[in-house]
Amino acid sequence: MGYKKEPQVFKAKIGEVVIGAGDAAVTIGGENVWSFYSFDAPIEHKPATGIEFSDKGPDRSLPELAAFYEGAESVADIAARACTAPGADFVSLILESADPNGDNIPSEDAAAIAKEAAEAATAGGKPLVIQTTGNTDKDGELIPKIAEAAQGHNVLILAAKEENYKGIAVAAVTAYGQKIGAESAVDINLAKQLNVLIAQMGIAPGSCVMQLGNAAAGYGFEYLASTIERVKLAALTQNDDTLQMPVIIPIGSDAWAVKESLVSEEDFPEWGPREERGIEMEISTAVAALAAGANAVILRHPAAVKTVSGMVDQLM
Amino acid sequence: MDKFIIIGERIHCISPAIRDAIANRDPAPILERAKDQLASGATYLDLNIGPAERDGEEIMQWGVKLLQENFDNVPVALDTANKKAITAGIAVYDRSKGKPIINSADAGDRLGYIDLAAENDAIVIALCSKQGVPRDNDERMQYCQEMLEHGMSLGMESDDMWFDPLTLVIKGMQEKQVEYLEFIRQLSDLGLKSTAGLSNASNGMPKDVRPVVDAVLTAMAIECGLTSAILNPNDKHLMDVVKTAEVILNHTLYADSYLEL
Repeated sequence: MGYKKEPQVFKAKIGEVVIGAGDAAVTIGGENVWSFYSFDAPIEHKPATGIEFSDKGPDRSLPELAAFYEGAESVADIAARACTAPGADFVSLILESADPNGDNIPSEDAAAIAKEAAEAATAGGKPLVIQTTGNTDKDGELIPKIAEAAQGHNVLILAAKEENYKGIAVAAVTAYGQKIGAESAVDINLAKQLNVLIAQMGIAPGSCVMQLGNAAAGYGFEYLASTIERVKLAALTQNDDTLQMPVIIPIGSDAWAVKESLVSEEDFPEWGPREERGIEMEISTAVAALAAGANAVILRHPAAVKTVSGMVDQLM
Repeated sequence: MDKFIIIGERIHCISPAIRDAIANRDPAPILERAKDQLASGATYLDLNIGPAERDGEEIMQWGVKLLQENFDNVPVALDTANKKAITAGIAVYDRSKGKPIINSADAGDRLGYIDLAAENDAIVIALCSKQGVPRDNDERMQYCQEMLEHGMSLGMESDDMWFDPLTLVIKGMQEKQVEYLEFIRQLSDLGLKSTAGLSNASNGMPKDVRPVVDAVLTAMAIECGLTSAILNPNDKHLMDVVKTAEVILNHTLYADSYLEL
């Protein structure tokens, strides 16, 4: 008997979310097959790879990274440089200086930085994703200000949580037309609940992505991967429309915070240069997240961005 | 695992309000029940116009168009003993939201409803009986296989045949209930789709008892692998039971607000 290929195409599909304005717009989501199963049905929007930078500037102790950002000092310049990274589909600003456990700059100042980055990104032809502090109170105050300051740039702001989603959803999406991420720390039931609550606020599905958690490969990553998989399983095989939102996973912060990326070459000469190790941590983590079903990943190092987006292109 | 499919049963000519609405071609009562059922989680709407021997074709076309035009081409189960009315209804049916269901065939006089489904690329509810109540599950399975083979010989996909185990009233046939549930499991083990009019089991019971019986039997049937049911989606307690069974069986992902979905 001849082999009959049965494409595994689902009746359900992931919703689409557009980020960025004008020529800078990028769409994520929209697939009705498992990740990269483009042999079952065309995947119109490839998974997006982003490049992130802190408002405090890149880690210039990493030679390759320092070379990439050489001469770029202001946030606008850094953002503009990030837009030129080969393979980057979007750029991402981390508002590190707004963190209450750090410099804790006022929200107004942070919003001004966000505006600067948004203008530079749109000018550079890339959408902007803004990562805020993760502090519930600060973000609740900061995100509406960012949303207002970045009006017209259709930015994606990460992220709203169970404790502060109400104000964020109303201000960022309803009032200023931005996109938001719903963050649940590796908790599938909370991920669904948060989507339900945000939808009950009248927020259309096309305005929200899921930020399901973050972890570096080898550091509890399997929980994150299985969470992404379980969400996609519910969205596609069970047609659960409360989970049919694209998934975005920030990789950089975790990948650069583990031992493999931190210890110096002097202390561990047999491990080789630190920068290479960090890049490899980013690549390993991002590829696994994409295989599990992520629609977008955010990386820090241009070399990692190039490799991961190159893999995506070859698999599509 | 596909989502458990609810076929809303409330547009049924046994109800005086619906009977009158059909007779007078009065949309309001039908639209109201359709809206309520869809809001409560029905996927399909059953449209039972009774035997409709005289003007069945016209009634079915009117009803199908009425429901689909007002509710975004909602999929409909066409329910009548008048075969011509079903053909006429399917002729105006928009399948963009799902194939029509023909309700229903059996292994006896109504075997021809399977032919009707095959000719029209429809789903058919296939009642596992021939004349009266099947003696035991061997007989049920024999009818099931007869209908399955008949449908497949006509080119139907097995997924388009939803087998109905024939729900039996508890008062009078209490000893047959376990076997009924076992048959649902057999269908499930064979990978076949199924449906049932579960509330038949509580027929003749006091009004305050029926919801309890309906809810418990529904939960037990879902556990046995029933894939859809014809029921009243506006029975909140019953729908809560369906949703909870789906969560416990891991067919839907839990969230604190799951009963509101």
